[in-house]
Amino acid sequence: MSDELDEIQAIFFEECVEGLAVAEEGLSAMAAGDTSASVIAGVFRAVHSIKGGSGAFGHTALLGFSHRFENVLDEVRAERIAPTPEVTQCLLGAFDILSDHVSAAQHGADAPDDGHMLEQLDAILAGGGAPAAAPEPEPVAAAPVEADEFGFTPVAVVDLDFGGDADPFGFEPVAVALDDFDAGEPAGWTVRFGPSRGAMANGAEPLLVIRELESMGGEVTAVDTEALPPLAELDPEDSYFVWTVALPASVDERDIRDCFDFVAPDSLIEVTQAQVAAPAPVETVAAAAAEPEEIPFEPIAVVFDDVVVPLPVEPAPAAVAPAPQKADAAKPEASKPEAAKPEAAKPEAKHAVEVAQTIRVDLGKLDQLLNLVGELVIRGSILSDRLSPADQERVELPELSRLTRQIQDNVMSLRAQPIKQAFSRVPRMLRDLSAETGKKVILETTGEMTEVDKGVIEKIGDPLTHMIRNAVDHGIESPEDRIAAGKSPEGTIYLSAEQKGGRILVKVRDDGRGINRERVRAIAVTRGIIAADAQLSDEEIDSLICAPGFSTAETISNISGRGVGMDVVRSNVEALGGRLEIVSVPGEGTTFSMALPLTLAILDGMIVRLGDQRFVVPLANVIETVQPEPGQVQATSPTSEVIELRGQYLPVRRVGEMFGMRSERPAEDSLVIIVESETAGHVGLMVDTIDNRREVVLKSLEDNLHPIRGLGGATILGDGAIALIFDVDALVATGGASKFALKGLAA
Amino acid sequence: MSTEAIANDERKIVTFTLGNQLFGIEMASLIEIREWEAPTPLPSVPSYVLGVANLRGSVIPIVGLSERLGWEPSVLHARSCVLVVTIGGRNAGFLVDEVQDIVSIKGSEIQPAPDTEVNDQSAIAGLVKIERRTSDASNQEAMCLLLDLDALSLTRHIPELAA
Repeated sequence: MSDELDEIQAIFFEECVEGLAVAEEGLSAMAAGDTSASVIAGVFRAVHSIKGGSGAFGHTALLGFSHRFENVLDEVRAERIAPTPEVTQCLLGAFDILSDHVSAAQHGADAPDDGHMLEQLDAILAGGGAPAAAPEPEPVAAAPVEADEFGFTPVAVVDLDFGGDADPFGFEPVAVALDDFDAGEPAGWTVRFGPSRGAMANGAEPLLVIRELESMGGEVTAVDTEALPPLAELDPEDSYFVWTVALPASVDERDIRDCFDFVAPDSLIEVTQAQVAAPAPVETVAAAAAEPEEIPFEPIAVVFDDVVVPLPVEPAPAAVAPAPQKADAAKPEASKPEAAKPEAAKPEAKHAVEVAQTIRVDLGKLDQLLNLVGELVIRGSILSDRLSPADQERVELPELSRLTRQIQDNVMSLRAQPIKQAFSRVPRMLRDLSAETGKKVILETTGEMTEVDKGVIEKIGDPLTHMIRNAVDHGIESPEDRIAAGKSPEGTIYLSAEQKGGRILVKVRDDGRGINRERVRAIAVTRGIIAADAQLSDEEIDSLICAPGFSTAETISNISGRGVGMDVVRSNVEALGGRLEIVSVPGEGTTFSMALPLTLAILDGMIVRLGDQRFVVPLANVIETVQPEPGQVQATSPTSEVIELRGQYLPVRRVGEMFGMRSERPAEDSLVIIVESETAGHVGLMVDTIDNRREVVLKSLEDNLHPIRGLGGATILGDGAIALIFDVDALVATGGASKFALKGLAA
Repeated sequence: MSTEAIANDERKIVTFTLGNQLFGIEMASLIEIREWEAPTPLPSVPSYVLGVANLRGSVIPIVGLSERLGWEPSVLHARSCVLVVTIGGRNAGFLVDEVQDIVSIKGSEIQPAPDTEVNDQSAIAGLVKIERRTSDASNQEAMCLLLDLDALSLTRHIPELAA
């Protein structure tokens, strides 16, 4: 049972994360000036769902905070508080605290200190709201936590005592509740709630709804058990009761309705407000007493299906006959919130239509599936290797391969997620960074819907964080410096993602001062990364900031100097099979580009032999293969060679030697694979022979070991042997002459 | 490994030899024992990382344990075998000379490893005296070095230190 609860709780936290993402997106849009009703309603809904779940699971701190947050959002939504930039900033701050609350609740940590933020929220409520709205949230805000003592039990007892005879207790408590109110005040809300069979089937829990009503000061006044059949005919999965709950008038109708958010639409839900005019309280009570089941007030429409929400409150025809007009005029506050309703409710209706059918699947199961499909693809290609083309046709192998490929594509797409998930934590980070550094930064994002394998998304989070920190800390200047340089005082960071061929290109661009090459160079010399007289191009200097051991200690701050430098960013990206590239223009800014593979799972490769070992060259890097003629490969030094290809000389690397395998094989007996690398252009790799071309399932080395420079991973061949996969870019770079690159190589 | 907390727990260890020395690891960490099969060598790794092998579809590193602990590298022979262990969620294979036995020991029997000048003393979690079977079927007491597997995990910093 508790396992089950844990599971449900885990889903709740997943939904929290999703909700937070939605809220953050909406708030960011608001900060950017889009304060349309649908945006605000989206934020409200997200926070509201978090509140609802947190109550159900007893996360009181989270519940308390989200409730206060929601109150403010509700006021904004109802246009009683204007979403000014100041208010939006405060909401963003509150959002950050809410995120902290969620993670505290999730990890059982102490709730974050939210006192300051609550004060700010209260200040908004007090200052920003229209007078009519001001008093309303307070009783609500006070109530959220202690609700539980209100008994559901007594209701159940009453219910059993009286069996099917509901009338006797239907009325009396109502009268008491009405008595409590001063004459002239609105007589409070009466809610009738009868969950439908469908609602029960959907897991609606009337107790939770009633508890929530009680938490707002509600009281169960009656239970209608009329519909209860004899025991023999009783269907345990149906619901036969109709509860009547009285709530104080101070409660906002919206809050009442919100309690029913998760109850199926065909349930009986009636929210009525007793409008008691001053002269006639007694009649009202009397009228109610006579016919408790037909409460003589207009229902304020709560049919959920068509969300036609509320008719304006009208005095009930019979009971309040003496002074209908007066009552209306006397209570403008009461009807005013209703007037704002229809507009606010519209997005809700839209939302109901958009519900997508989804299913949650454990990621581990998907991985397993992907792995199996990968093996299937490989077995397929082995099979096609072993059968002659005629035999392949005979056993319909091409058809099978096509199906396998389709399955593979489908499984891959299951794991594909919009890269937005990785981008979503950036806005908050920027807010924190802005606060710490005093630099003003605007974020512009494009291509966030680009889909990438979930594994890639998980792994680019850290590199992305570092790049952004780096951009704010070192790239963007202080507002004064920016003004002095003729720029706007706010720096901008452009975050973009796009698919390019088989890769995803993620860029972080700032419009800051660019890399200070002289200082980078000087530091590299001091650190012994390069020789004092080394001749380096601008690009080489730029890439020095990714060299291991390079740290701009002079400017170390608690932001960028957190013990991890850009070299870790680079090795992380490379471990993903990606590449990191830096382009910097002095005075105009710096761009970091990560080129990442679309998937981490399967790779098109060329199987080559070196000695008795087989290796895989990713086909994406291969341009052509050359069988060198005698004299086509020539030495330019004892350790370096070039190949002449159509009049051009390209460097050639003996891969075997780079892997510590000595070979006396002459060039004429070898093959040269011309590969393209991001860093070194076209380079020839000398191997003994080429076996064939095939798709391989990529197995990462860091699962059980650690990334090794020059290798993109390993794969298991059809005969069970392991072949290492070259990371061509790293391989070619490590063979290069630049000293920092050699230092980066572990050996 | 806090010996106080689990001092009275009885636990099983697998004993094996490296040269003349007797070693032991917790049985709970052992996944399987496999025959020696030459692994695929890796570039840019310390010499005690002999390469990678295929463990039912996953790629695991094979470590020359003797060399890792600072002894002479093992000489391969007919009884050489690989202990596949799990260390903090990662798997690795250790090349050992000969697997001996599975014995039960009590936590209280473990003595802390004395402070020595050995570089890698941290890899030895403690010493324990066990009955060792000899070739003539008689038993004989022997000192067994208990390994702290966590200290033997292969992390990224190792190759860099070796560089």
